[in-house]
Amino acid sequence: MQKLEVIITGFGGQGIVLAGRILGQAASLGDHKESTLIQSYGPESRGGACSAQVIISDGTINYPYVRQPDILAAMSQAGFDKFVDQVKPEGFILIDQDLVKPKGLERDYFAVPSTRMAEELGRKMMANIIMIGFITAVTQASTLDATRDTVTKSVPKGTEEMNLKAFSKGYDYGLSLLKARDKKASGQAGALA
Amino acid sequence: MGNDQAKKDLKIVLFLCSWGPHAAFQQLQDKDCRIPAQVKMVRIPCSGRVSKALLFKPFEMGADGVALIGCGSGACRYGVGSITAERNTADTRRILDLLGLSRKRLRLAAFSPEDPQGLLDFLHDFIEEVATIGKSPVQRPSKPEQPADSKAVVKEIIQKHDVYACQDCGKCSSACSLTLAGKQYSPRAMANAIIGGKLDDPQVQKDVWACLTCGICYDRCPSAVNFPEFIRDVRAVLKTSNGNGSEAHGGFFGSLARTMTSPELKGRHWNWLPEDIKTDPQSKVLFFGGCAPYFDVFFKNHLAPATLDSLKDSLRLLNFFDVHPILLDDERCCGHDLLWTGDRENFLKLAKLNIEAIAKSGAEEVIVSCPEGYRTFVKDYPEAGLEMPFKVTHIHEFLEREISKGSVGFKPLDKKITFQDSCRLSRHMEMTDSARKLIDRLAPESFTEMQDSGAGAICCGNCGWSGCDSFSKALQVKRLRQAKETQGDLLVLSCPKCQVHLRCAMQDPFFGKDLEIEMMDLTSVMAKTICWE
Repeated sequence: MQKLEVIITGFGGQGIVLAGRILGQAASLGDHKESTLIQSYGPESRGGACSAQVIISDGTINYPYVRQPDILAAMSQAGFDKFVDQVKPEGFILIDQDLVKPKGLERDYFAVPSTRMAEELGRKMMANIIMIGFITAVTQASTLDATRDTVTKSVPKGTEEMNLKAFSKGYDYGLSLLKARDKKASGQAGALA
Repeated sequence: MGNDQAKKDLKIVLFLCSWGPHAAFQQLQDKDCRIPAQVKMVRIPCSGRVSKALLFKPFEMGADGVALIGCGSGACRYGVGSITAERNTADTRRILDLLGLSRKRLRLAAFSPEDPQGLLDFLHDFIEEVATIGKSPVQRPSKPEQPADSKAVVKEIIQKHDVYACQDCGKCSSACSLTLAGKQYSPRAMANAIIGGKLDDPQVQKDVWACLTCGICYDRCPSAVNFPEFIRDVRAVLKTSNGNGSEAHGGFFGSLARTMTSPELKGRHWNWLPEDIKTDPQSKVLFFGGCAPYFDVFFKNHLAPATLDSLKDSLRLLNFFDVHPILLDDERCCGHDLLWTGDRENFLKLAKLNIEAIAKSGAEEVIVSCPEGYRTFVKDYPEAGLEMPFKVTHIHEFLEREISKGSVGFKPLDKKITFQDSCRLSRHMEMTDSARKLIDRLAPESFTEMQDSGAGAICCGNCGWSGCDSFSKALQVKRLRQAKETQGDLLVLSCPKCQVHLRCAMQDPFFGKDLEIEMMDLTSVMAKTICWE
């Protein structure tokens, strides 16, 4: 049985819980797996640390809290610092590169300027959707079609197109990053032979 | 028997130098030798005076073979004739190869007056060889017909572009590159003369052919009279034969484009493709290269441009993003130059052949690197009522799309750069930003715009291979001076023709090194420095 434990963390108001919900919902309703969501909110939604814990599994999930995340997506330094040591050795660490400085981190991680990209698109609040796209491309926790569908259904009416654009932006960035790593690994970093 | 008939039907043009070889030919005639009937002899003063345009012209008109016979090396009465003939023949043969006509259809030989038998043997041998290749697939292109009532047609054109809206304000003349270069030339005066029914006036006609169609007048016109397209349509009325006297380079490029209108012609457009470039006939993306391969061959000896690099590097950039495009072996000229020199009929033929070939390839997206080709595909094909079952993207748009996905960076470039706008992209398509966005991503020492840039940029001096004169030259010199004034050492371009024309001005022996500046297509600059991060 394959089980994925995911923590998405950031400031309150960044849409962290919504991001967790989209991810879990895409996995369950879209990909027909099991998923759970634990959200920590309260004072966080007025700012401060916030996190969403998602478990995605092929079989029944008996315990909904994350013990050792396979995926950590951090959109704030505090969140990153809190969870980074818990991530499994083969797990993925994803960060918003402008909000998180992975000081002293000696393992591989994936960085995306999600907030900056969202600002370029005209709405800073879409950073979470960009991060969802990035997570989907890099970790394949949920499938592209299911996640895109869920994004469309989860965002306020009238903003679907914009959010899909943000999602693609994050997704393309993720794919591009993976491609860049492949190319560099195979020694073809440039265009000229 | 059929074979013999086919051989008899061959048409061979023989350019014969009137010094040595013609004497040999006369001896054959005097001795009543049977000169093969397929041979049509043209007596010329020197083999070196038969330009590439002249060597090629018979092929446009359906000849199966051309032989240029001069005097042997060292025997030329004028000194350099033999060497020039050798160069011209070698270049034209390469062009025949690109076209898929086979280089074997063109031969250069030398015979002295003492060797009539050698000449006769040569002719028989040549006919045998051409017979093995077969008849030329080129059908003589049709000549545009004069409209029955040209006055009414002109009136229609004036109405179509609403030239009546001209307020005679003179903003066009104050912006026109030609006028500013000192030519006695005024777009508004010409427009008013045509409205006044004076299109028959030789001076008006001359002016119609002199226009660069660069579009700066349209950019400035408060009444939005699309002057370039007006001129284009008027030229179609004036064009009554293949020649109008304004063609540059002996009309070679017009000949070339018209030759490509033969549907049977199967080109070998990509026979120079380096091995490191990956292509895939099953791809959904097609790369349309344009005429750069011909430019490099044609101007090899004089200007040595490197316009082919823009194609190679565009392809390398596509490969960099894992796009392995389809290349059409029988890709034809897009027809831009024919359209803008009044030959609408042959333009349409080329357009249809290109669209048909691309549709057959199954491509869903066509990427074009040439600004003229891009305009022609995006604007002129649809305006001519032709439907394209694919979308057309300029290479700059493609690059912007891919690079903005992230993880792509640029290595530092050890150059101070400046940029030459192409009229087709910057003005006609209003895409001044597309190249600049890409340039902003590069990491040169510095990027400085020239005094006139963007939509107000100065033209490279020519359009559609016509109307080249001393004012074109003045324009080019002015432009290069502006480039030098930026203190830059690399002039980045987006159009192969800008490169050819500006390089021409750099050959001036009087200005010498004053005007020299390294030039490179934007795609080449990018291919050199792009890298995954």
